[in-house]
Amino acid sequence: MISDTLLRFILTVVIIGTGWFAYWLFNQRLLGKAQSQILSLVDALPDKPVIVYFTTPDCTPCKTVQRPALRKLLMLAGDSVQVIEVDATQRPELAKEWGVMSVPTTFLLDARGEARYVNNGVTRVEKLMEQLQTLSDFEI
Amino acid sequence: MATHSLQKVDHSALKTNQLIIISLNLLAFVFNSPALAAIVALAMGTGVLIKKPGFGFVYTSLLKPRGWMKPDVLDDNPEPHRFAQFVGFLFMAAGSGFLFFGTTLPGWTLVWVVVALAALNAFGGFCVGCAMYYWLTRLNVPGFSKQPPENTFPGLKPKASING
Repeated sequence: MISDTLLRFILTVVIIGTGWFAYWLFNQRLLGKAQSQILSLVDALPDKPVIVYFTTPDCTPCKTVQRPALRKLLMLAGDSVQVIEVDATQRPELAKEWGVMSVPTTFLLDARGEARYVNNGVTRVEKLMEQLQTLSDFEI
Repeated sequence: MATHSLQKVDHSALKTNQLIIISLNLLAFVFNSPALAAIVALAMGTGVLIKKPGFGFVYTSLLKPRGWMKPDVLDDNPEPHRFAQFVGFLFMAAGSGFLFFGTTLPGWTLVWVVVALAALNAFGGFCVGCAMYYWLTRLNVPGFSKQPPENTFPGLKPKASING
């Protein structure tokens, strides 16, 4: 017989899992939006992975964590990746089109312009690097 | 009358509070402990009275001094956050009351509602209680006077005010 605590633990995992699935669906929606919007940022696909980084001037975690992380990523990856920074206060219509609700938000697109990952909130360089390495068209 | 006087609000303290509330409530549910839920309610109630996040002391006395969590100070209204904590306290107090009287379904449902709202705030950056506060301001309810920071959607973190 399953103990009460175990049953409650399983129920907790199921509820959190459902919440996580809802969050995943939300991210899929964001990726879908990004997919159709990449050419609003660049004239032509740059033939390498692109990170689109949404920020605002008063975003403290952007300054203290996200920007240094992206700088470090560029040092590690060199020309193999392009970072496009978007000030959401300067281009609010763009942030709206991409479905950005908070900053920092980073989108990772492969060389074909397909949106592959979206990170809501601060994302460490290790995670960005991990995501880049899953792209078949990424080479350092 | 609605006003615009913003103050410095450290959102890291708020986030710490939310994460502790989520953790303790989940533990309370898993171990079927109404007492733990009541402790959360008590901390939130105390926070309402002293006008600080109920578990904010963990941030100010432990996480911030050791550099484990960096301050995230924004120009914001503290009143909607206090109101949000008050709403959370009411849910937790009612939930704990139900649990102590053996009415477990509504009791745990209320605890889970608090978990969900705290998670939405901590991970999604949207404060439902704050949105309620600004909605009451719009309805000119006495005692509710603050407007959201400029270009900020009511309930969202000020720096997330990009959709205008």
